Amino acid sequence: MNTSNNRVLVIGGGMAGIRTALDLAEAEKNVILVDRAYSIGGLMTQLDRTFPTNNCDLCTLAPNLSEGSRQEHIELVTMTTVTDVKGTKGDFTVQLETAPRFINLDKCTACGECHKKFPEWVRFTPGLDHRAPTCMRYPQATPQAFSIDMAKCTDVKALMESCPAGAINPDDFGSRREVKCASIVFVPGGALFDPSHLDYLGYAAQADVVTSLEYERILSASGPTMGRLIRPSNGQQPKKVAWIQCVGSRGLQKGAGQYCSSACCMFALKEAIVTKERFGDDIETTIFYMDMRTMGKDYERYFLRARDEFGVRFVRSRPHSVLRPAGVDNLVVTYGTDSGPVNVTEEFDIVVLSTGFRVADDVRVLAGKLGLDLNSGGFPTTDGFNPVVTSVPGVYVAGVIEAPKDIPETMVQASAAAIMAAGDLAPAEKVEKTEADQELLPPEFGVVGEEPRVGVFICDCGENIGGVIDAGALADYAGTLPHVAVSRLQGHGCSRESMRQIQQIIVDEKINRVVIGGCSPRTHEAKFQEVIRKAGLNRYLLEIANIRDQVTWVHANRAEGATEKAKDLVRMAVGSVVRSQPLADHSLPMNKDVLVVGGGVAGMTAALQLADHGHKVYLAERSAALGGQAAKIHRTLEGDEVAPLVRDLVARTEAHANIQVITRALIVDHSGLPGMFKTGMQTGRQMFYRQIEHGVTILATGALPNRPAQYLLDECSQVSTQLELQALIAENPETVRTWDNVVMIQCVGSRTADNPNCSRICCQTAVKNALRILEVNPEARIFVLYRDMRTYGFQEEYYQKARQAGVIFARYSAEAPPQVKAVGNMVEVTFNDPVLGREITVNADRLCLSTGLVADEDGNDELAMIFKIPRTADGYFLEDHVKLRPVDLPVPGFFVAGTAHGPKLIRESVAQALAASSRALTMLARDTIDLGARAARVDRDRCAACLVCVRACPFGIPYINADGYSEIDPAKCHGCGVCASVCPAKAIQLMQFEDDRIMAKLEELFERSIA
Amino acid sequence: MDNFEPVIVAFCCHYCAYTAADMAGSQRLSYPPNVKVIRVPCSGKVDAMHVVKAFEKGADGVYVAGCLEGDCHFKNGNTKAARMVAYVRRYMDEIGIEPDRLEMVTMSAGMGYRFAQVATEITEKIRRMGPSPIHAAIETGKAA
Repeated sequence: MNTSNNRVLVIGGGMAGIRTALDLAEAEKNVILVDRAYSIGGLMTQLDRTFPTNNCDLCTLAPNLSEGSRQEHIELVTMTTVTDVKGTKGDFTVQLETAPRFINLDKCTACGECHKKFPEWVRFTPGLDHRAPTCMRYPQATPQAFSIDMAKCTDVKALMESCPAGAINPDDFGSRREVKCASIVFVPGGALFDPSHLDYLGYAAQADVVTSLEYERILSASGPTMGRLIRPSNGQQPKKVAWIQCVGSRGLQKGAGQYCSSACCMFALKEAIVTKERFGDDIETTIFYMDMRTMGKDYERYFLRARDEFGVRFVRSRPHSVLRPAGVDNLVVTYGTDSGPVNVTEEFDIVVLSTGFRVADDVRVLAGKLGLDLNSGGFPTTDGFNPVVTSVPGVYVAGVIEAPKDIPETMVQASAAAIMAAGDLAPAEKVEKTEADQELLPPEFGVVGEEPRVGVFICDCGENIGGVIDAGALADYAGTLPHVAVSRLQGHGCSRESMRQIQQIIVDEKINRVVIGGCSPRTHEAKFQEVIRKAGLNRYLLEIANIRDQVTWVHANRAEGATEKAKDLVRMAVGSVVRSQPLADHSLPMNKDVLVVGGGVAGMTAALQLADHGHKVYLAERSAALGGQAAKIHRTLEGDEVAPLVRDLVARTEAHANIQVITRALIVDHSGLPGMFKTGMQTGRQMFYRQIEHGVTILATGALPNRPAQYLLDECSQVSTQLELQALIAENPETVRTWDNVVMIQCVGSRTADNPNCSRICCQTAVKNALRILEVNPEARIFVLYRDMRTYGFQEEYYQKARQAGVIFARYSAEAPPQVKAVGNMVEVTFNDPVLGREITVNADRLCLSTGLVADEDGNDELAMIFKIPRTADGYFLEDHVKLRPVDLPVPGFFVAGTAHGPKLIRESVAQALAASSRALTMLARDTIDLGARAARVDRDRCAACLVCVRACPFGIPYINADGYSEIDPAKCHGCGVCASVCPAKAIQLMQFEDDRIMAKLEELFERSIA
Repeated sequence: MDNFEPVIVAFCCHYCAYTAADMAGSQRLSYPPNVKVIRVPCSGKVDAMHVVKAFEKGADGVYVAGCLEGDCHFKNGNTKAARMVAYVRRYMDEIGIEPDRLEMVTMSAGMGYRFAQVATEITEKIRRMGPSPIHAAIETGKAA
């Protein structure tokens, strides 16, 4: 096969596109990532903080894209649109059109001179530019995000001269190109509903009516108000802020989608909490909502915190209007309540409209070019059991374009789409790249015992450093320091030419330690480590003095102080580097086999994916047969039959040459490191012990149906769970036809004091079963007693369908639950109807309880102990990062899929299983396990085995070994250095941050001030 | 000492305060050059010995800057650092150095403005407090 098309095209550079591209690149697949914007990041870059941690997390993801090893697999094409797509799976031909940036990215150093001199002509999208709403927790956008707005530029020559690197190119006319690819991941993200035409909400007319994203910007430290929360109309701090939910969602307004936008309840909660966190009682917060849809993992707790801890006020009402009558300073919100027919009016200072997602018009056009079938909302239709598979083979979707959703689910689908797209690639020709690279590297010089010969290279970084201090004089000064053999001014040290020179000087002058005076080690340490390694030095014989980001950029107006400080930092770096020692990167060979625990839909899906990618998979199932809980479900809400899916998965799993199924498997022990685990289990009827060696582990152990002893369940034959009901409808429709009244009660055993979280699946199950009963028995009267209907995404349409079909939905509160009584063959259900304002009694032929799921407390507890995996308070496995790493567990090499992570639908479990396999594949692609060099090392002669390190380590790594001293496995050490800090005998040193180097920095710093 | 320029050592966690310091740079937020940053992988790595050494060598002020509570990349290094700082402060009085010369601060990686603000405030505070008493001791030592 032609290798030029053996790659994946990712359309869209938001969070989903970045995740997909990174997963593919880490699995050694080639990717072209195309984005329309000047730099990647998408919608998430505009958020101040994200729920439920209230952190901003983009910074932990986006900069990864520029890391060298990944970059060789990712071609990043910004300011580019896809204009045409032809071909089929395995062989697509795509036309790309790139708009001119007028900046040569190869030359641009992102110094910002052009932007400083001509702010009107230069776009600097992410971050610091207050026009551009961006968080900028990381100072480096990818790619460096300057672009020229040529239409505004009136003096091209002056602009060109402003650039010290000569990177401005006025003759950029943009370009068109044709690319070939085997598969396409379409992740354009969502647009937000524009409420301007809804005059009764006042968005167009009132400055103080803002969208939730605008409110986010007002809160953000990098926003237009620099984080001061003020009313746009008068610049005063507001006293009362209201949120109005479901603007543009749930079919409520003109132009709104019929679907639920899924994420808005959570972001309104987040904005209210952040407001309360910052201003406490100074600002009152009120959320007007229809149903509070906090159905994600641990989201219900977040809602409870907002209400109970932060005092956010919740009003279940859809406000009638937001107006500002003449002569009134505030916004007047008019709304109705349960308590009576009279509308209430209340004044607010700011009203936030929680606007939902929609598909942008140009995205719809592009979806058409891709040939995708679309639903009524313009979203591509997807497979009933695999949300990333579209109607076009070889084209996958993820994120909001699949259906409105929040970030964790987007990340899951992005990884899932990555492995699906990777499956369409031809097997890559084995390029022995890593070995070839290693051959190019010269052997490392031995430096131990040799007199230090330090090479100091000072960057002027154009005007960035040279404009504030005399960089040449600094280099001269450094030359006078002890041990410095060479010191020189290096211009832009990070330019290719400079790096080549540095490398040459190291060799020619027999330099054995290097100091770079330039920008931050955070961004450039890896680059210079590579330079000195190529010159034959161990990569850890390097120090970087941060004289740009932490000197000249912040002390520009104090040249003298800046010069002295730069000298200090260089002297400290030299003092430290002479004490540096060559360190070995810890690495181990990678075992490429996989252990999947759990043989349900998620476990089998993951096993099949990884087996298809050539890995040997051991699938351990506790029970006697594969299938899991899904085997009990007949149909999905959308009407897809589940049994054929399960049958097919079981058959394929059992037949796959790379999969070994181990039933009746009980995991009993576990040891080893990520990449080389050993797991012991007792298997079969006779419980024989066997041990499996594997590199990664996927936990797909599922959850259990809940069965609380409530509402006469197991006491009265007319009371059943939804799971039993759906079996009855399918197997015994005759009985269903005899029913006059059916009552369903939601949230039985969920959202309670014992089990505070939402079970996520029950609202749609109730809607599904209600509609199914009506199919069989159209005369049946069905009452669904609910607390909040959580039919998120496109499920909302089925909820509305059920209402139209006559299903009566009546709300109850947790404080006043329905009362049930067995009366003969019937169940008498009494509840308070808030609409009628009175008590209603129904004589039901059948009472059906939505009991949801609970974590497998005993099973998970065992596994959590054996594998050392943390769990949530309600017993589900806790992922490493709720937002960005939703399937990675905190123990490297472990991944989670399906309901073992939290309650979810079958298709969501499938997506998560695919995501877990995709993440596993990124690890399995490596031949060695790279552990870095920053690890704690114990000097056994000094260790008194006092146990202080054993107690202090946050990860429980040190232990007292058989020889009686503390041992720290460098492969397990996370490198924080806490043990080194607390060790009373100073027997522990953290490599790269040894005490003598920190002390040397202090000694050198005070060299000047004391002398 | 009319033009007293204090020397202040800031031990900064790589994941938060050091990144915030870089952030202050890219936002060109100005703060006094008196603050010299020493990068550590976690504020929990900072040892009482490092802090005492800084004062011994002549630092007029020292602060340890870690992540916001609950945000530590290593679970709880920042709270360990806070305990260490509280511990050292107790003994500073005994050896004749005002405990207020040592502080623990927290910030997130995105808080460039806070980094600059903290650096400015601490510099001003130390400037008002005057030179560390250690200087006098060092001078005496030299004279003797």
